[in-house]
Amino acid sequence: MSVGRRSAVLACQVLLTAAMLLAWQYLPKVGWLSSRSHLFDPYFVSSPTQVAKALHDLAVGANGSPKIWPFLWRTMSASILGASIGMILGAAAGLVLSNSPFVSAVVRPFVVAANATPRVTLIPVIVIIAGTSLTASVIIGVLVVFFVAFFNAYEGGTSIAPQIIDNAKLLGANNWRVLRYIRLPYVMAWTFAGLPLAITFSVISVVTGELLDGYPGMGQLIATATSTGQSTLTFATTFILAVVGLAIVILSDQARDRVLHWWGK
Amino acid sequence: MTAETDTTALERRDVVALDDVTYGYPGGPNVIEGLSLGLAPGEIVCVVGPSGCGKTTLLTMLAGLAKPRSGAVRWSPDPAKPARHPLTMMFQKDTLLPWMTTEDNISLHFRLSGTQLRRADKAGRIADLVELAGLKGAEKKYPYQLSGGMRRRVAFLAAVASRPRVLLLDEPFSALDEPTRIAIHQDIFDIVKSQGISVVLVTHDIGEAVSLADRIIVLTARPGTIYATHHTPFGEQRDITRIRQHPDFLSLYARLWEQLEVQVDSARKSSSSFDPDLGPHAEDGGPR
Repeated sequence: MSVGRRSAVLACQVLLTAAMLLAWQYLPKVGWLSSRSHLFDPYFVSSPTQVAKALHDLAVGANGSPKIWPFLWRTMSASILGASIGMILGAAAGLVLSNSPFVSAVVRPFVVAANATPRVTLIPVIVIIAGTSLTASVIIGVLVVFFVAFFNAYEGGTSIAPQIIDNAKLLGANNWRVLRYIRLPYVMAWTFAGLPLAITFSVISVVTGELLDGYPGMGQLIATATSTGQSTLTFATTFILAVVGLAIVILSDQARDRVLHWWGK
Repeated sequence: MTAETDTTALERRDVVALDDVTYGYPGGPNVIEGLSLGLAPGEIVCVVGPSGCGKTTLLTMLAGLAKPRSGAVRWSPDPAKPARHPLTMMFQKDTLLPWMTTEDNISLHFRLSGTQLRRADKAGRIADLVELAGLKGAEKKYPYQLSGGMRRRVAFLAAVASRPRVLLLDEPFSALDEPTRIAIHQDIFDIVKSQGISVVLVTHDIGEAVSLADRIIVLTARPGTIYATHHTPFGEQRDITRIRQHPDFLSLYARLWEQLEVQVDSARKSSSSFDPDLGPHAEDGGPR
């Protein structure tokens, strides 16, 4: 894209954002609209200025608002822990299954069934076992990320071209060395390629868990805000989650491209 | 010249020999039938033949990746002390590991076989090969940064770094344009001859066969067996570009064309019953 075109695109994006914010700010002030639909009722949709003020209050803990940081920290640490553990377990499972057609044939139906099970329904069970705790949040994250990582890892381990394995054996590799030097790197690469997706899933599932079990993270903040009719706080919290989520995706995208630079274009 | 059995196989102290082998995919007709072929030390044998005549299968049997229905693959004991690595193969498709640099890909054998070699010896050998194959400056590059011709050179060096007794080449340069291919031929020939590696090269390119081979085997249409054998007169020192204008090159080239045409015609006639190109795993070059 040429420089001129790129700045035109950027200008349009800025204009579009401004238009949406203005519409959000001023449409609910039109009585005719707000009396006809909740969508334009300030009580339900709040406004950009109120959200901005709430964000400020959350950051510094002013005007009776709680400080956001401990909440954000709990959610994000659980998400990152969940994603890391889930990816390591998923990669290990993918490595073992892709290395053995027999084990794979035995276990695969269970994996597919487990993946089709909505893990959200397991949250109450997890809470009974682990209590409303960081552990519970992490387990919820792991349960979701494991499958994302596993399917990637398995695909990586089974998609190795047959001539690459044959070549390795002819070069003198025994089964262990094929596993160690050929299959493991493929599995790790494919798993790592799913890093941005895994983290996103982890955040979503951890927040869902907090919504349901009341562990004091971002999810609990949203649950409280919603049940007490504070739409402004709900929007502010969601906005923070979106921004942090975006930052994590960008960072993990860069980490992935850096580690897997040899993958080429 | 008609079907000829290489009965002298083991008498000549061949490195390895196919002894009256027959091969077919499970439940299918024979792909190769009653084929005997020995490989003398340091010899380059090129195998040509119509598509589907079992050329690649012949290599996979030598490599031990496929077991013959009958007959045997016989290896002579290795006189060298310590014993050399028996065999490597350069595949038609890419086998470079994308996360490894040129250097690491070339020295893959040492890592995979757990061969203990003094670091300096190994580095020296790799450096020599890199120099010989014109890859200087590309040692630290990754496969995606290399051209198709360079990638093939790296794959070739990876196959010869262990200085194996036998090297199998399965149409290794078929994806390259002709000038690149001919440039590689010279390096391949020089390296293989200087290292005393015996080679079986399967190719569709008759010019490639004539310029590199000590001996050329023409296979019949499926089921493949030896239809004709030719010895080339070019010796151990060759200028591959020059050879291509040599009268002997041209006459042998023409002769091979004639023989191949006969076999391709016969393959076409029998293809009403089955398609020789569509054996199971034909694309992968053999059964697994």
